[in-house]
Amino acid sequence: MSVLDDLLLFTALASVAIIVVRRFASVSKLSVIVYALATVLLVKMSALGYGGEPIYSSFTLNVLGQNLYWRFDSLSWFFALITVVIALFTSVFMSGAWAEKYCQEHSTEAYGLLQAALVLNVLSMLVLLASGDLLSLFIGWELVSWASFMMMFLNQDKVARKAAIKYIVYAMAAAMSILMAIAMTYSMTGSLDYVQIMQAVAHLSNTQIALLVTLYGVGFGIKMGVIPFHLWQAAAYAETPGPGAVFMGAISARMGLYALIVIVVQIFSLTRVAAIEIPYTFLNMQNILAWVGALTTIIPTYIALKQNDARYLLAWHGVGQGGYMLLGVMIADSIGTAGGIMHVFNYATYQAALFMAVTAVMFRTGTSNFSKLGGLVTQMPLTFMVMVVSIIGLAGIPPMNGFVSKWLVYRALLLDGEPLLFVAAVIGTLGTILSVYKLVHNTFLGQLRLEHQDVKEAPLSMLLPMLGLVLIIFGTGVMPGVVLDWVAAAQNAVGIAPITHNLGGIELAQGGLDMIWVTGVMFYGFAVGAIVFYFLGGKSKHIHQFDNYAGGHFLTSKVRYHYSNHFYAGLMHLIGGWYKDFFKKLEQALVSLVSFLSQLSENFYRSAQPAVLVAAVAFIALWFIMSSFSMPADTGTVAPITQGIQGGLPK
Amino acid sequence: MSTITELLTELFLMPLIAFMVGLAMVLMLRKIGARLQRRVGPPLLQPIFDIVKLYGKDTQVSHGLIHDIGLVMAVGGYVAAEIFLPVPGMDGIADKGGIITLSYVMMVPSLGLALGVGQCANPNGSIGISRALTAMLAYDIPFIIVVFGVAAHYQSTSLVGMIEYQQAHQWGIFEMPLLAAAGLFALQGMMGKQPFEIYVAPAEIATGPMVEMSGKYMGGLFVMQTFQLYTAGVLYTSLFLGGGSNWFEFLLKIFVVVAIPMSVAFVFPRYRTEDMVRIMWKWPVMAALIGIAFVL
Repeated sequence: MSVLDDLLLFTALASVAIIVVRRFASVSKLSVIVYALATVLLVKMSALGYGGEPIYSSFTLNVLGQNLYWRFDSLSWFFALITVVIALFTSVFMSGAWAEKYCQEHSTEAYGLLQAALVLNVLSMLVLLASGDLLSLFIGWELVSWASFMMMFLNQDKVARKAAIKYIVYAMAAAMSILMAIAMTYSMTGSLDYVQIMQAVAHLSNTQIALLVTLYGVGFGIKMGVIPFHLWQAAAYAETPGPGAVFMGAISARMGLYALIVIVVQIFSLTRVAAIEIPYTFLNMQNILAWVGALTTIIPTYIALKQNDARYLLAWHGVGQGGYMLLGVMIADSIGTAGGIMHVFNYATYQAALFMAVTAVMFRTGTSNFSKLGGLVTQMPLTFMVMVVSIIGLAGIPPMNGFVSKWLVYRALLLDGEPLLFVAAVIGTLGTILSVYKLVHNTFLGQLRLEHQDVKEAPLSMLLPMLGLVLIIFGTGVMPGVVLDWVAAAQNAVGIAPITHNLGGIELAQGGLDMIWVTGVMFYGFAVGAIVFYFLGGKSKHIHQFDNYAGGHFLTSKVRYHYSNHFYAGLMHLIGGWYKDFFKKLEQALVSLVSFLSQLSENFYRSAQPAVLVAAVAFIALWFIMSSFSMPADTGTVAPITQGIQGGLPK
Repeated sequence: MSTITELLTELFLMPLIAFMVGLAMVLMLRKIGARLQRRVGPPLLQPIFDIVKLYGKDTQVSHGLIHDIGLVMAVGGYVAAEIFLPVPGMDGIADKGGIITLSYVMMVPSLGLALGVGQCANPNGSIGISRALTAMLAYDIPFIIVVFGVAAHYQSTSLVGMIEYQQAHQWGIFEMPLLAAAGLFALQGMMGKQPFEIYVAPAEIATGPMVEMSGKYMGGLFVMQTFQLYTAGVLYTSLFLGGGSNWFEFLLKIFVVVAIPMSVAFVFPRYRTEDMVRIMWKWPVMAALIGIAFVL
């Protein structure tokens, strides 16, 4: 029995246990213990994070002469660690006061199902991450899809159900695309095993590789929500019940990136993909993928800017941040891919913290609608602090961890001489800054509503995981070397030169980064700022939040003056017209086409008019017969006639 | 340990010099404005009097902890930024960050100010922040293209490395005139000078970030402005004018750099926010992209 066996078996048994005891109050404690133990098992495998040999599961299957097996390499371990740790934080978050309220509002059964969905998601993701060949990858992929669907379907709201259905339709399309790609890979290489395919890839033609990369790319891209498949994700994740959204938003969509790295980077290798030129353009296949990443950073980010609900805003940013990861990985040098892979970790930490903060606000106020919030900073200062630290991470501003991974991506694009991709990445970052300020301003700053006067700070069980995540966000921002160790091992596993780094960042001859120094200088600056503010000048007088005036009038708290609607009016005046809903219309057109065709065939099938049916069948039959009989006759009869006509024409 | 004393001197002196030079720049700004309007202008020590006056005021209204912390971040972020800017004889820490880090550290003061104003719960203040952040989106895109072009040209993100290269070869402004022009354009927006000053315009004070700032809060913004002018001047000098081999040359360059936008400013009215975005995304972006095409 290897440690991997222990982990998978343990998670599987734990899933059964949680499903069995889901109606009892002890399920909360059980789930926390389960994820904590799973984390311990992952720590036991931590040699993988520092370049250890892959660990194989002793369980294998033999199907049609193909050996199915499961293993963990450094990349899988990295993703698994994020998954399980986020699940641990989520389970603590949902264990206490949140659980009580949810059980009251819904039912104990509903809460138990949420716990079950969470553990099934974790299990299926571990199975996917452990896959050692294409068939086990596909099995894991389907499990993840259905586990996600189960989580989304728990919210009985109409909007949520619709989003879940939309997701599963997209997921099915993705699965078909992947299945087709796997079948083609098998027919081209005669194997489903990663190692054997890797050897066979050298003999494949560029066209074959291009076709496979496209099919796999579409399949995995749908899960990641890259352009043009970005429409399903935001609503599906945002509408999932609080902790579910925390978990799904933080890690679920990254499974697509994992699979993409395994197939495109590890098996096909980016040098091979880069060799495929797209006819009539200056681009190659790798550029196309990088541009998909760049567009995914821009478009969803600016859609997020327009959202009026905190959960939707965050979920749209989740889609956008996926673009940085794809872009980073597709730069294909050691700095860029390190940035892309590291961003998975950084993103998971701050996105989970942000969704937790928003869930805490919803827990206390019952809404995440910007028009109904504002001024909560005095009531929920710690939650505010969590949100500020996380948005600094999300916006990629030092000293939080989001800055480091984005810095690596920028640096790689600079070294590579890719000005347009660089500008695209920066446009995404700037849009993020605007949008996260809107998030924090409309929720926590501005005018406090009268009905929120008695709102209290989030309960301890919800605060603890949030504060823990804040420590990770800040800690790995100051000492990115901790994560970069794991990233370098993961890079090594997929055949990319690992990044040379130290604890504070990376050292490069042409300008490196040392976060320990950067953070130190920043805090020194803040200390100077604090001295200037607190020790120089007169004493300031604190006034109550409701004591305010504007435009020469005292504003009482009964007047709603919180500036939250249409926040970036000036900007929208200019760019508002650029939101054309192009992809939405495309999606609608596809839906209409399919429903039209299905209705047509249904009507035809069920038609109560036999005459039409008989006539149609007769017509088709006649056409079929004619076409099969007239084939040989064609040359014999028609040709002479035309010749005759032509020949008979008077000159 | 000489390195540690050197380091401590740098940590102490760099922000202090930045502040003093910034004060002189504010004075220059007012003098230029006065001369263009045929006035005499304020006396030599006026900026210092202003700061002392603001910090010493009786009425100082705080709207809460975040209002205070916002001001600390606004001043502190710039203090940190000054330490990453190499000046003659002092560049020990500049190499730890480089130009990308510096660009992002410079966003911290804006974020701090935005948070502070947000807690004031004055809708007019929030409108001002919405405009200021939009303005940031406007000028940062050409600015970042310029940064890319310069870094790609010197094959380095280290400001110290860029200055060394320029002093050994030629100033960046001669090698990359288009990028230098675009950079100057972006600088105008970054310093919040006319025609791109709607979010801080005196006539719009009732709807701007400063609306709830009294006493030392306003004083903090004043200090922030001195740093801002200095940072803009030094950054541009380091990217395009070869830094400074001695203090005299260095100060001359940064004062000239800051004087140009100020002279331009006083002959312009101001643009609306969306018009600022439009013009910033059109001309400087175009010039910078063509400039990059020459560089690569």
